[in-house]
Amino acid sequence: MGRKLRIRIDHNTCVGNAMCETFAPNAFRLNDNRQSEVVDPSGDSEEKILEAAVNCPVSAITVEDAETGEQLFP
Amino acid sequence: MSNLRQDDMFTPEVIADPYTYYGRLREEDPVHWNEKYELWVVTRHDDLVWLTRHHELFSSAVFKNDPRPAYPAIDESDLGLYDYVRNYQGDQFIQHDRPDHLEMRKVVHGYFTPKSLEEWRPFVQKAVKQLLDAVEDKGRMDVMRDLATPLPVLVIAEMMGVPEPDRPYIRQLAEKLLYIGRGEADRMKPLTDGMKGMIEYVSPLVDERIVNPAGDFISVLANGERQGVFTRHQVLVNTSLLLLAGHETTINLLCNGTLAFIRHPDQWAKLKEDPAGGARLATEECLRYDAPVKSIQRIASQDVEMRGKVLRKEDRVRWFISSANRDPNKFENPDTFDIARWPNQHVAFGAGIHHCLGATLARVEGQEVFKALAERFPGIRLDNEALEYQPSITFRSLKSLPIHWQ
Repeated sequence: MGRKLRIRIDHNTCVGNAMCETFAPNAFRLNDNRQSEVVDPSGDSEEKILEAAVNCPVSAITVEDAETGEQLFP
Repeated sequence: MSNLRQDDMFTPEVIADPYTYYGRLREEDPVHWNEKYELWVVTRHDDLVWLTRHHELFSSAVFKNDPRPAYPAIDESDLGLYDYVRNYQGDQFIQHDRPDHLEMRKVVHGYFTPKSLEEWRPFVQKAVKQLLDAVEDKGRMDVMRDLATPLPVLVIAEMMGVPEPDRPYIRQLAEKLLYIGRGEADRMKPLTDGMKGMIEYVSPLVDERIVNPAGDFISVLANGERQGVFTRHQVLVNTSLLLLAGHETTINLLCNGTLAFIRHPDQWAKLKEDPAGGARLATEECLRYDAPVKSIQRIASQDVEMRGKVLRKEDRVRWFISSANRDPNKFENPDTFDIARWPNQHVAFGAGIHHCLGATLARVEGQEVFKALAERFPGIRLDNEALEYQPSITFRSLKSLPIHWQ
């Protein structure tokens, strides 16, 4: 089990590109409005979640360590 | 619509000012059937977002799936050349739907993440400086010829790993490829010349990168060939996609943005107060206010209902960025150029799974150019007010933009 993550999605920025869902399908899902939602912050490995954040074409995803608040991305 | 006097998007009036025509459609008939070119014209922001996010309903394989002839019409003698263009364009990864699109995009996306594109900023800064140094003493330039056209080619040539002495040749080819978005009846000849020239030029580079991969974009595509995702033809046409997609679009951002600043002296003054701090939001507003790409096409994959209209399978559907970006239901005072506008959810780069891969690079180029102009040539003015645009439905392209500052 890795550390707990806090994942935020800026819905002013999200364009529904779905790259996050591709990299970490158990953590992210597009809602009915085709905006990304976090369905389970521990659904995928930290590596996959960070990969999803890095590859978001509009950088809408922020990832933090839920315990310490340390910002992991960006 | 019968009360639109002339329902033609290629008239000189609509080319000069698309905002009045598409704005009226947006108000009166937001999902509009254009009889002349047999296509649906979608003009509202919310419809555009909905459409781009329902990629399963609207195919991006336009060149493969469009059963209708080229429009505006091309010379009959060039129909064979049009087949060449369809085959060439059809093999680009952006002209694919899921699942193929996803597999292809995965190969290239690492090269285009916001983080990796941001790393091009120092290169862009240096290139902007050199181009502006070259014109500084003259006190004047054609923004199109001297800055906006060469800058993206410098960046793309570097991405492709093209040796320095070959760059003028790549620029010549790039200018021929620009005919893809034009309306002239004889446009197929220069366009196919450019396409064939690119294939000829890039082929030996690909041969070489297959064996000796480097960090450049051609190596990334060659790697996709090794993985079995791309054919050789796809590697070749996707290399020129970089030149097609990254050239005209950036030219238009730089020219249309510069023009917007000159026409709105209050906003120019605002940027000059803080060029480094203001360039980011200002670039977003340039992208919204006079978007580089006016419209993009899809083909309906099945019958779809939108606002009470039934779009039939295989119908052409064009969504108009320039109109969505001025939609009063989305933007306050949409026709006002306001460089502090925020949030600014323009759709200049599209939305959904086909959202522009190069968006960050375009933003970096825009930010660096507007910042440098504000710092170095604060007194820019137009040589003359009369400006002409290319007869294109896809691109918002000036023909030239002569300015002076002395």
